Formats: sequence, C-alpha cells, structure tokens
Amino acid sequence: MTLALDMITTAAILFIVASGLLAIFGVLKIINFAHGAWLTVGGYCAVVCAQAGITPWLSLPLAFVVGAALGGLTERFIVRPLYDRPLDAILATWGLGIVVGQLITLGFGRDVQFTESLLPGAVSFAGVDYSLYRLFTLAAALVIGGGFALLLDGTRLGLSARAVIMNEHLARALGLDTAKVRAATFMLGAGLAGLAGALLSPLTSVDPTMGVGWLVGAFMLVMAAGSSFAGLAVACLLFGSAQVIVSTFVSPILGGITVAVLSALVLRIRPKGFSNV
Amino acid sequence: MTKTRIFPALAASALSMGLALASGAAFAQSGDPIRIGVPVGLSGANSVVAPSVVQAAELAVEQINAKGGVLGRPLELVVADDASGAAGAQKAFDSLIFKEEVDVLISMETSAARNAGLPAVQRGRVPYIYTSFYEGRSCSPYLFVNAWVPEQQVPPVVDYLMAEGATKYYLIGSDYAFGRGMLEFAAKYIAETGGEVVGDDYLPMDGTDWTAIISNLKSSGAEALITSTAGGAPNVTLTKQLRGAGVSLPYANLAVDEGTAAAMGADAEGILISASYVTGIESEANAAFLDAMKAKFGEELRTPNDLSVPQYEAVFAYAAAVEKAGDTDTRAVLAALPEVTVTGPRGDITMSRQNHAPLTMYLGQVQADGSVKVVSSFENVDPGEQCPNL
Repeated sequence: MTLALDMITTAAILFIVASGLLAIFGVLKIINFAHGAWLTVGGYCAVVCAQAGITPWLSLPLAFVVGAALGGLTERFIVRPLYDRPLDAILATWGLGIVVGQLITLGFGRDVQFTESLLPGAVSFAGVDYSLYRLFTLAAALVIGGGFALLLDGTRLGLSARAVIMNEHLARALGLDTAKVRAATFMLGAGLAGLAGALLSPLTSVDPTMGVGWLVGAFMLVMAAGSSFAGLAVACLLFGSAQVIVSTFVSPILGGITVAVLSALVLRIRPKGFSNV
Repeated sequence: MTKTRIFPALAASALSMGLALASGAAFAQSGDPIRIGVPVGLSGANSVVAPSVVQAAELAVEQINAKGGVLGRPLELVVADDASGAAGAQKAFDSLIFKEEVDVLISMETSAARNAGLPAVQRGRVPYIYTSFYEGRSCSPYLFVNAWVPEQQVPPVVDYLMAEGATKYYLIGSDYAFGRGMLEFAAKYIAETGGEVVGDDYLPMDGTDWTAIISNLKSSGAEALITSTAGGAPNVTLTKQLRGAGVSLPYANLAVDEGTAAAMGADAEGILISASYVTGIESEANAAFLDAMKAKFGEELRTPNDLSVPQYEAVFAYAAAVEKAGDTDTRAVLAALPEVTVTGPRGDITMSRQNHAPLTMYLGQVQADGSVKVVSSFENVDPGEQCPNL
C-alpha cells in the first residue's frame, strides 16, 4: 500500500513540476529552459512568506502571481522576438535561468533556506501511516490537471489555445489574436512553475539551484508526453512509478536516472511519445 | 611602456617561484603576510555551513594579528569556493597553491573535494590542515587532521542507542566517501556490540527524493535510525521528509551540525548528534571564543559548530607550528605540527596520533529551540590506527 502511495504521489509531484513546461511547449512550441528558475523563484516566495511570518498557504498564490508576472515580462521582452527561432529561444531562456539564479544568490545568498511546512506529520490512510503533505500534492496535481481540462475545454482562451496548437496560421487567418494567446499561455506556464516551487518547498531544501535538477526531469517528461496533458499524466504515472520501484527494490541511485532513461527509450520507440493517448 | 614594466615583474615572480620550488623555502621578508588558503564549499552541499567556517578563520587571524602576528608577519586569508565537489576543488586548490602561492591550506571540505585537492597539495608541497570530521584513513605527509574520524564519533552514538534498548538499526547516507565510510564503520561496530543492521540505503549527493528509502525504513522493523548524509541540503531534505512521513524512531545523525539543526527548527528536535564541539561546552576558552565571535560578527554571526571551531583552532595550530619551526618552510612546519598543543574551545588538542588528534567527544540531543543539550561526554577518545604507514 505504501508502495502504491509512493508511486502515485511521486507521479503527482512530477506532474506538478512539468505541467507549466508542457503548457508553454504545447502552445508556443518552445522549451522554456527558464522553467527551473521560475520554480526556484516560487521556492523563495515561500521563504519570503516564512521570513515575514505570513501563513505559508499564502505563498502558493503569491508564487503563482510572481511567476506569472515575471513570465509576462519574459514573453514580451525575450521570447516574443524569438518565436521563429526556437533554438535561439532555448538559448535565451537557458541564459535567463542562469541570470535569475545569480540574482537570487545576490539577494538571498547561496545557502539553503528554510520554510514553514504547510502540512506537517503523517496521517493514517488506507491502513498505513503516510505523509499528509504528499497526499496533499496528489490533490494539488488533480486540481492543476482538472483546471487545465476545464480551461482548454470550457473557456474562450482554451478554445483559442487549441486552435493555435492545431494550426496557428489558420487560427490567425480566422482573426484570432494569437499573440495574446501566446502571452497568456506563457504567463500561465511560468505561474505554474512558481506554484510548483512553492509546493515543493516543504519536501526539499530551497537554494538557488533547486530548480535545476527538476528542470531536466520535467523536460524529459514533456518530450515523452508530446503536447497533451493526458500524455503528461500517463508519462508521470508510468515513469514516476518506475522510479519508485527501481529505488525501492534495486537502488535509489539507479532510481534517480530512471525517468531520463525511460524517456529516451520511449522516444526511440515512439517518436510521438504519449501524445496520442 | 606597459610591456617593459610588466616583464620584469613576471620574470621576478617566475624566478622566485623556481627558487622556492628548488629549495622548498620561501624568501619572504619580515612583514610580508603569511598566506592561508581556505578552499571551502561556499556553494553546493556545504553552503549552509561554509560561512561559519570562514567566520571562525577570520576571528583566529584577527586575534593572532592583534598580538603581532607570527614571527613578526601578519596572517592573511585567501578564501576560494570549491563548490563542495571534486571538480571545483581541483580548480580551487590549483589556484590557491600555484597562483596565489599560499603558505598553508586550512579548510573544512567534503571528502570528495579533499580527495580531489590532495594531488595538488602533494605537487605544490604545502602543509594542509583538514578541519572537517571525515571517514578516516586519508594519509599524506602533508595532511594533518584536527577533527574526528568514525573511531571517535560512532561508538558514543551506538552505545547510547544500545543502552536505550535499540538492537535493530537502519542506515541512510549520501553516496560518497564520507557517507559510505561512516556507515560501514557504524555497521561493523553495531555487529560487534551485538546489534543488527536491518537495512542500508544511499542517495546521490544532489538527490532530493528520499521517498522510497523512507518507505523501506518504515517497513524494515528498525528500532533506530543512523544517518550520514552530506552536510547541508541533503540533511535538510532527508529530515524534512522523515518528519513528513511521521518517522519518530530514535534518530542519530552523524553529519548534522548545530547551526543546521537550529535552522531546521522543530523538524530537528530529538536528533542525537555526536561531536567534538557543541556550543554548550562549559569552559573558559569556549566562553571567551563565543564572546569574541559575537563581538566581531554581531547580527551576522553564524552559530559556531563542530566544523567551524576546528577551523579556528587549526589556524592557531599552524601559527604555533610556524613559531616553533621559526619559518614557514614546509618541512619544518610539518615536523612541528604534531608537537604543538592548542588550547581552544574544544580543550587541549595535539595532532600527535599519525597526523590525527585524540579528542573529547560529546553526545548531544537537539532540543525544540534548536540548541543542543549534552547528554554525556567521553574524554580524549583515540582516533585509532589511521595512518600506520606515515
């Protein structure tokens, strides 16, 4: 039972981390390598809340808003001129990530920061004692996933986004303001990255490089997921479970590379990954 | 113009370097600073504790210089970030030894960084005082250690847990020389004293996800947990996730320092630590040291700890060795180092045992406010046979 919970919650955490990256990749067709930096910014939002003595719950909306605002600025001034040059956009966002990391180091120092735990302790769940916070991440992942489903299927922005995903030229020809759709998506993706950072802060240490390790995993998952959220959910469940199984029964050291290895294998066999799921 | 001015300077420095290497002696004039290189992990895993180490070294240098320095020469610190790892350490050691031409290296570092830096120490022939506790058996004629090794630290912890009735142990560590070395020794000692190790697991040093390990721990039936991670971030993530998962076993941490414990807050409560220094040591030297640290750093003060105090004492040990040798010449300093005794916050310490030091060890328990209460102490624990071939 614990194993099953470990698998599901690990998948949930991966989904939370990767969803912002996927949103941007799906609509804009660029990989936002500043994703790790926005994640770190979100973690530091939790630090700021802890230092100011504000309830840590407030760090979640704060991290989303800060991430979205920074994402909006990035889209307008750095990414927008590079839409036709996706490789340059990768370089630009990667560089931006380094700059943001250094700015955080200047502001907060290099060392590990401490935050308030949102939900400390364990609860009895389905017969085992399990970390309350990890169960909460599962709920958070479901909310984010459900939110996306609603957004895409139930709103004007979602409709426009789907149109842009399917055929951007046609969408523009039909009078859709694709620039606005792109900007909104980028802000949403960056905001989600910030939110993910704040959500991760009770599980990990917050330091200027906290986002880097997560970025690689998220990138692999998004590549394997193609550009669909259902695909991402499948990828997170499969690879997250594999990671837990390998860590539990073989070696936690090998577990750390499971996601990367499986993503590479899946893309070798199915270049489109899980996008048709 | 510029060319003619730079050229003689370069030639002179190259010449003096050549001479220094040839004779092994430094031709310093009286009044030239004696330069102490401090490669330390300002970034990476050690970044939590490194600032306190630098502060301790700064205080030692200031106090020695206030009394007229060493042989009439002031001490000067040259700090370099080694990023807590092997690659960074190679750069930091190379630049300190060959570019900055320091007279000695005194530093707290990860074992990976120390091992990566040692070849440069051998090539550059500088004394190197290592001030971090470590897994033991690192031997070089240039290397002296004034901190503890497993033979000194582990027995107090296991003896205490055994007395508390724990016989089944689970061991968790970071996958590097220190983590594995400490836990291998712990496993051996547990077996010798009649206990049983029911499981052991390691995560890479930069790993943050302890989920599977914690689940294994919970299902193993262990009665006590002993961990030995890299200092700083891995310690924090492991402790947070342990507490999040509701693990409340007796928990001995072989690698947590008081400062980190204080910052972790309630999560650290109850953790057992075994150390040669805790701020609660009641001695005049410790009180004077703590007062001087507070006076010098005020608000900026990082809690002095089992990594920073050996750094402080090592600067005094080096100064005493240079005084005794009458020179900064490497061979003379190396001969003097095992013979000088420093009375510092941890008591009287001499690196007399195969380049290692007998130490008084304290077993402490972290309290809810982050302070460490001394549960018991063990006088002058011998480091054992660390380097019988030196």
